[in-house]
Amino acid sequence: MRREIFRSMIALAAVAWALPALADDAKPLAGKSITVLLPSPQAANIAADFEKATGIHVDMQTLSWDDIRPKLVTALIAGTAPADVTEFDWSWTGQFNAAGWYMPLQDVIDKDTVADIGVAKIFTVDGNLLGVPYTNDFRVMLVNKKQFADAGITKMPTTLDELVADAKQIKAKGVVQYPIGLPLSPTEGASTSWYLLTKAFGGDLFDKDFKPLFLTPDSAGYKAMALEAQLLKDGLVDPASTGLKDSQINDSMFAKGLTSIMISGEPGRLGQMNDPAQSSVAGQVIAIVVPTASGVTRSYGLPEALGIPKVSQNQDAAIAFVKWFTTKQFQIENYANGVLPTRTSALADLNAAGKLQSGDALVAQSKVIDPLFAQGTPTWYPQFSSAVNTAINGVAKGQVTVDQAMQNIADATQKAMTQ
Amino acid sequence: MTAVTAINMERKRGAASNGDAILGLIMVAPIVITMAALVFFPLIDTMWDSLHRINPMQPGTPFIGAANYTNMLTDSDLRASWINTFIYVVIAVAAETVFGVAAAALINQVKFGRRWLLAAVVLPWALPGVVNAVIWMWIYQPGAGLLNGILTTLGLPFDNHVWFNDRVSAIIAVTVVHVWRMMPLTIVIVLAAMQSIPEHLYEAARIDGAGRSKMFTSITLPLIRGAIAIAMTNATVSAFNLFDEAWVLTSSSLDTRPVLIQIYLETFQNLHFSYGMALSLVVTVVSLLVSLLYVLRVYHTTRFD
Repeated sequence: MRREIFRSMIALAAVAWALPALADDAKPLAGKSITVLLPSPQAANIAADFEKATGIHVDMQTLSWDDIRPKLVTALIAGTAPADVTEFDWSWTGQFNAAGWYMPLQDVIDKDTVADIGVAKIFTVDGNLLGVPYTNDFRVMLVNKKQFADAGITKMPTTLDELVADAKQIKAKGVVQYPIGLPLSPTEGASTSWYLLTKAFGGDLFDKDFKPLFLTPDSAGYKAMALEAQLLKDGLVDPASTGLKDSQINDSMFAKGLTSIMISGEPGRLGQMNDPAQSSVAGQVIAIVVPTASGVTRSYGLPEALGIPKVSQNQDAAIAFVKWFTTKQFQIENYANGVLPTRTSALADLNAAGKLQSGDALVAQSKVIDPLFAQGTPTWYPQFSSAVNTAINGVAKGQVTVDQAMQNIADATQKAMTQ
Repeated sequence: MTAVTAINMERKRGAASNGDAILGLIMVAPIVITMAALVFFPLIDTMWDSLHRINPMQPGTPFIGAANYTNMLTDSDLRASWINTFIYVVIAVAAETVFGVAAAALINQVKFGRRWLLAAVVLPWALPGVVNAVIWMWIYQPGAGLLNGILTTLGLPFDNHVWFNDRVSAIIAVTVVHVWRMMPLTIVIVLAAMQSIPEHLYEAARIDGAGRSKMFTSITLPLIRGAIAIAMTNATVSAFNLFDEAWVLTSSSLDTRPVLIQIYLETFQNLHFSYGMALSLVVTVVSLLVSLLYVLRVYHTTRFD
């Protein structure tokens, strides 16, 4: 009897000794600490949930999207890590790859995940996966269905001609003064709208050798610019759009019912637009697939990813965060915060459960998403984009013709390529 | 005996002089070291780097001589931003000086509550540039903006007028915000100079029958010329450094883009770091050269005074 008690005590002691070790096996990086830098806003519970799951402490830092890039570049050029995990936008891929600032992730992220996230190819250069997409930004059109109905429009437009006709009808019926929301300021939002309209006219920006395809009047890019000028001239776009970013048009016009159509709509905005706390048109906003000249929808992706700087001192814990943040389960949960999943499976599950707003349109659009640059985002993309939005701004203010604007973009691009 | 005493005195004086010199060196050492570490070394380092190609997208940092400087001559965006910057400098310095001196003269006449008035006047200068610009963005707003509202109330056709769609009005609008922010500093500098003018000079002028305008032009202005020159130097440097107002109100629009925004775009958007460094150095030199005109003026004025 005494021997049995002794044996039991030894067994208990062994279990007591082994328990923490078992816990450590489940959370091998417990006790580590990382910094994460993402655009605001992010869900408040991210750090706590991740720490609960992995034992890794997260110092979550958020900045406005526009402020992140200067912070990254300043730190990375100095050879320091701005954070262990950072925002990595699709438009930075060419530059950041050339600079060699971010660690390739294809060997640490499993192939099923990469296969499930179709837009991951936008972040892949020469076989190196530089970021794992976490927010599925692509372009649809957001429309105020009530304002369409008030103007007597029952069928949503599928062609650009129908779109313009509907906008004219909405204006003519006095529903709103400026039915189309279109940024014309020298900001990225103006560029992305022109890219979308170029796609809608059935064209692309460059050929395989990066020769511009927008210089002749019959080209898609030229027609897109001419359409923007015409929409402004016809009074369908607010003249004040020359000074407004896309986010300002979303927040101060579309969400307040002052405009009926967001040409370059973000799927992630649906939650905000239909939230009574953030929008005065809640319940009226739907997404439609992008109307095109031919009637066959097209769009392109502008996803954002998580990247890990090569100089990060906590790469193991950073990888754990990237994996956790892009799991199917977390992506489904994070949709409640307006972040559209990048995993096709998560999108399908949300749609099947009826939780995806305008789910059919989003799923239909997501099937025809192209990368903006088939060859990968070039290193000179920022100069190109800057030339595009400067040209759009000039056309909108009547300072340059569409012809001159197209030539200015081509010249600036040529100059950027040679630098 | 007398000669020995004189030699001893001379030695003592020499020792004291050496001690003073050492003490002087010790006293100035902190500022010399600080300036060397935080101003001169970075300046020389930047000058050296501007002669290299520093672009993280390209391997190595080869010596390229004056290529960054010669490239400026063919940069059309840079040319446009320089023109904008010179327009800002001319308008801003003139407006800050004229209105700043006038405001200082008015405040100098106030006998009661001057401190509170001065505190209110200084407020725009105390606020960050971005905050000032955002406030003015609301004022200039086409729809519900205060400016259009006032003009429309007066019966003028400014309903929904977009101030930034025309280059002239856009530049003036940006300059107004900058002047609004920086003029308080001119007021403070000039007011301090006005308050140091002895009252008996005005009394003597009054006895001689001089009126207010005569006293202002014959006593006040000559005696605050030094302060005005300092204020103008400051206004010039700050106008060359204009960034926040243009960025918040018009982003990177070529119509209003000052040279500092061009530097920002080249450096942080295009990652042309050494070109950005060369541009920064040129702005510094131009800004100093223009300011030198005022400094030389101050020197002559001070001697005359």
